[in-house]
Amino acid sequence: MNKDIQVSTSQKDDVSILNIKGDVTAVTGEIIEAAYQKVSTAGAKKILLYFDKDGYINSGGIAILIGIASESRKSGQTVRLTGLSGHFQKIFNMVGLTKYTEIFQTEELALKDF
Amino acid sequence: MMADNRVELHIPSIMGFEKVAMECSASVAKKMGFTEDRIEDLKTAVAEACLNAIEHGNKMDTNTKVGITLTVEETKLQVAVKDEGKGVGNISLPSIENKMEGKDKPRGWGLFLIKNLINEVTFEPSPEGGNITKMVIYLEK
Repeated sequence: MNKDIQVSTSQKDDVSILNIKGDVTAVTGEIIEAAYQKVSTAGAKKILLYFDKDGYINSGGIAILIGIASESRKSGQTVRLTGLSGHFQKIFNMVGLTKYTEIFQTEELALKDF
Repeated sequence: MMADNRVELHIPSIMGFEKVAMECSASVAKKMGFTEDRIEDLKTAVAEACLNAIEHGNKMDTNTKVGITLTVEETKLQVAVKDEGKGVGNISLPSIENKMEGKDKPRGWGLFLIKNLINEVTFEPSPEGGNITKMVIYLEK
């Protein structure tokens, strides 16, 4: 277990939610990828990544999320994001990740019309 | 260590220790009166410069250290990150499209983030060997 991150999965209707508590980095990426693969293998088509507002995300973590966005696109999945601080919303816009995934301000908004 | 207007620290070349430099920079910037938004920008830039130093400069050699010097001036904060490597070559602008299509590896955003979050950044060889990434962030009036 990596003490810098905890990832749990839950389901709301047909949406698979990955609750990511902690750091999103190259070091913790394996845990996030494993959780994504788990829901993906189970047939998830709608995936919500729920981040920790106080979490630390670095370029290694961004690369992990690009990998997930890329794979989800090939698999015909839709990925939405929520829980991000204003700073990381800005960063995700800056790198262009928001061209491929949509950021929502709350979980409720993210689940609406998913 | 703090001498006059300078704070210096050294971190081991181990992923995760960049957070120590990041938090130290944030504390100094907060004391100087930077806004929360600019402190967040600085934290990301410092973390990325340290990660580059750990990974590419020092090749994650645990016998090496990354040196961080914060210099406080009236209108700006300068952060110098020193590694024991050979410096950065020409780095092309990362393309999210290429990365999404698998033409490029998904990694390689560090310098892009630094350049976009900080007012000034330069890369220069250190007189004692190694490379220094110098970043400057200005206090907004």
